[in-house]
Amino acid sequence: MTLGEREQDAIRAVLDGLEREVDVKLELGPTATPVTLLAAGGREIDSNAVARDIVEAVCALSDRVSLSIIEHDEPGPWPRTTIGTGLEYLGMPAGYELTTLVHGILEAGRAAPGLGDASLERLAAIDQDVAIDVYVTPT
Amino acid sequence: MLLAYKLALASPRVTARGIEASEFAVDADRHGVQAVPAIVVDDRYAWAGAVPEAVFVERVLAAAAG
Repeated sequence: MTLGEREQDAIRAVLDGLEREVDVKLELGPTATPVTLLAAGGREIDSNAVARDIVEAVCALSDRVSLSIIEHDEPGPWPRTTIGTGLEYLGMPAGYELTTLVHGILEAGRAAPGLGDASLERLAAIDQDVAIDVYVTPT
Repeated sequence: MLLAYKLALASPRVTARGIEASEFAVDADRHGVQAVPAIVVDDRYAWAGAVPEAVFVERVLAAAAG
């Protein structure tokens, strides 16, 4: 099992806060493309398989989360997890980034944005598209 | 990471993507990432490190305008 019982209980408690249904899409690439991760002690890891295990395990913990999986034949930016319509995560949502996946789903399932009024006012004034990438590590 | 997601959920103009730096090391190098979390706005390195919500919003808007 990818997630221990305590992790499952904690994630289930978070996802109990979902106020609406959330679609999660996981896109995987060719299976024979292991990556070597310094964060994993330089071991080769099949990132597609790890991502699939984690995302499937998390999504199974709430009946308000539905998961679709697409397998691509060509190399590309995989694994890619899309939460709702616009939140993406490239790579394995492992370690600390498991929190990003779980709370990303929670945020997407909120009825109202989880930001303060001042931030919402500033964002309402945006008149151009803005793309934010956040580089992270799983440890 | 969650702040970026919150911005994307709050504005249809904003998209947010988390990228695992060691799996996508070529992209991280291209953006000059040396520490995480590193924030890239409109394909340009902006800053590294966690900041409060108000600061995050202002920095993203400034980077987008710059």
